[in-house]
Amino acid sequence: MAFFCFFPVVMAGWILLPARPARLWLLGASWLFALWSGPEALLSLLCATVVTYGGALALERVNRGKKALLTLLLLCLFGALFLFKYLGFACTLLTGLGWPVQAPALFLPAGISFYLFMAAGYLVDVYRGKHRAARSFVDTALFLAFFPQLLSGPIGRAKELMPQLRTGRAPSWDGLRLGAFRFLWGAFKKLVIADRLGLLVSTVYADPAAFGRLQVIAAACAFSIQIYCDFSAYSDMALGCARMLGVELMENFKTPYFSRSIAEFWRRWHISLSSWFRDYLYIPLGGSRKGVIRKYRNVLIVFAVSGLWHGAALTFLVWGLLNGLYQVAGDLAARHRASLRRALRLGEDSPLTAGFQMLWTFLLSTAAWVFFKAESLGKAAAIFAAMVRGPWLTHPVTAWGLDRPELVVAGLALLLFFFVEVRTLRRPVGAGLLDAPRPLRWAAALLLAAAVLVFGIYGTGYDAQDFIYFKF
Amino acid sequence: MRIKRWRAVCWSLTFVGLLLLVTVFLSALLRPVRTNYGAVWKAYLAEPRDSLDYLWMGSSYAYCDVNPALVYDQSGLTGYVVAGPELTLSQSYWYLREALKTQSPSAVYLEVTALQFQTYQGYTQINVGYLPAGYNKLGAIFTASEPELREGLLCDLIFYHDRWKELTWEEAMEALSPPETDPGKGYTCVEGSDGTRGDSPYFRTAVDREVYGENLVWLDRMARLCREKDISFTAVLHPTWSRITEEKREEMAADLAELSIPFLDWTEAEGEMGLQPDRHYYDAGHFNRDGAAVFSRWLGEFLTRTEELTPRPQTGENRNSWEAAAAFWRS
Repeated sequence: MAFFCFFPVVMAGWILLPARPARLWLLGASWLFALWSGPEALLSLLCATVVTYGGALALERVNRGKKALLTLLLLCLFGALFLFKYLGFACTLLTGLGWPVQAPALFLPAGISFYLFMAAGYLVDVYRGKHRAARSFVDTALFLAFFPQLLSGPIGRAKELMPQLRTGRAPSWDGLRLGAFRFLWGAFKKLVIADRLGLLVSTVYADPAAFGRLQVIAAACAFSIQIYCDFSAYSDMALGCARMLGVELMENFKTPYFSRSIAEFWRRWHISLSSWFRDYLYIPLGGSRKGVIRKYRNVLIVFAVSGLWHGAALTFLVWGLLNGLYQVAGDLAARHRASLRRALRLGEDSPLTAGFQMLWTFLLSTAAWVFFKAESLGKAAAIFAAMVRGPWLTHPVTAWGLDRPELVVAGLALLLFFFVEVRTLRRPVGAGLLDAPRPLRWAAALLLAAAVLVFGIYGTGYDAQDFIYFKF
Repeated sequence: MRIKRWRAVCWSLTFVGLLLLVTVFLSALLRPVRTNYGAVWKAYLAEPRDSLDYLWMGSSYAYCDVNPALVYDQSGLTGYVVAGPELTLSQSYWYLREALKTQSPSAVYLEVTALQFQTYQGYTQINVGYLPAGYNKLGAIFTASEPELREGLLCDLIFYHDRWKELTWEEAMEALSPPETDPGKGYTCVEGSDGTRGDSPYFRTAVDREVYGENLVWLDRMARLCREKDISFTAVLHPTWSRITEEKREEMAADLAELSIPFLDWTEAEGEMGLQPDRHYYDAGHFNRDGAAVFSRWLGEFLTRTEELTPRPQTGENRNSWEAAAAFWRS
């Protein structure tokens, strides 16, 4: 609720103040937003800002030792990330290998994985001469701290974001309406779908052996939808808020579960991170230019790093590597699959082929998400075991964490979600709504708001900060 | 261009207004309907304006012990119990302000066991949540409620939105129905005895000096508010078996005298009122239906003879309504 007081005040200042004070106002608000998550979040953000600002200027000015300077700056940024996020994991690994090390108790500053990647991307762009170093500290600070994207992305690029934040343009009327609707749609996905499915997933995953195979498989599929709705909901809200402020952020999802291969899935899922890895890791490693073996090695490296970016645990590493292996295997089997399609007389783009490919991609990603959700590799193994052993159904449906009315609501919400996803293939969320007559538009928005208010999972004991990707 | 912008602002405000209406409607629909145990504001607001002679305020000691319909039957005085479960004095203050928006009673009586209540007693969600929306509710939320409850008190849906599964058609109709007067007039009837009274009175643990001091400040505010409106304000302690110690009652009497608040200590007066513990207590704290009837009839006599309250003129319709309420409780 505090956010609903904070945001209109920030927006009013951003719109009403002259350009220069407005930027300071937005920066102050963004830092306050960071402070909300704890003093360590603000402190870490300020340090990253100082290093990035000074580093970019230095990179532009020095002629010799540029590469060494960039390496030093990246070591600073990723060193901080390692310290806060991976030191504990490294100590656990070392302890497991027989060298007991006690990890210091450090808070993980909120949003650190996101803004440090933005900072690193910006420094590399300056190094490559693709972007000029910002002369103004406020430019750099606002780029890294802009509050809608601070905690969970999208991982913005300086080229797109800095000019928008520098000019401080007022939002358009259409932008305001679309932004508000996008925010509302995000709230629906998060509170009505993701958190509702989360109850089912948590119940089944807590003791998978106690449930039938079909129930465990259904819970795994439910988690695929839960994590998509959860993360894309945050992106929708971030994009919506930014749009209401007149800033366009990068789209982070493009209906990923309609992908026909894992490679395509990763071009449509968490796009800002995938494209970051492509531009700043995969291509510098040689990409696909240096032979097939190097290409596959690079793919596996990128996915392993991507897995670790999501969390400091072996489960995330396995999840990343599994996605990389899917891609390698998909590439290796491409010719055989084409032969099989020809043998079955299926067109490459026939609805049956596309449908099967989408289903297969969904199942593959669902299997990988099991590692993502499980607390340990042993737990993941237990979940897979419960999918193939024991009875097909054990408990009545009402013992799933969702009773019958909740399941009906979840089903109806998923139908609406599917309908919107199909429409989104052609136009962004809410874009078609502006062409509709006002009564229809208002009715749609009010019904959606009412659905969130009544069917949303929130209230006493609910943690509004509990987005899955906030942990990263 | 400017007209277009203003038009956009107007449409936006209209939409936000509609959204608020939807929220209010859903809140009214999903909040549990309560018509007793203090949550009686809807019925209170249905009483004709300026028709009440007195208000009886306090906690469950007030709403279980005083039956205004029987006070009326005895004396012709119209009154209402404006109380809530373990209503703290800070909450009572906002209750009084809200109650005086539609009524101008000659006297307000406050059952002051709450002077020995903690700052928050655990029924805030009911006591503040059911206050009519407005400035007084906001005041109660920000000065008389636990900080962690404030969001839910500002928006009922936070507490009650997940009741959509249990909501029945009848309850929905009741929730949305217009306010109607209630023969209870704020009284909540409990029958018989729950068997927990015990063989002798027990004594409440006194609160910290600091909390007691804060409670006195709120009590003083209520007294001042009544003085401003030329309403007599009296603190009372009902007969009860869950008693404040004599020492603390003497301290209270001295403090109230210092604040110029009249104080009626009836803690041990059950005998002179005709109350018999075995027959008239529901538990150690509250009267049962018969006990409330005896106490209320005694109160009718006391208010007219000792306090010299006189019934104000009523419309025929309202008189009939009170007669019907009295008949309901006589039967």
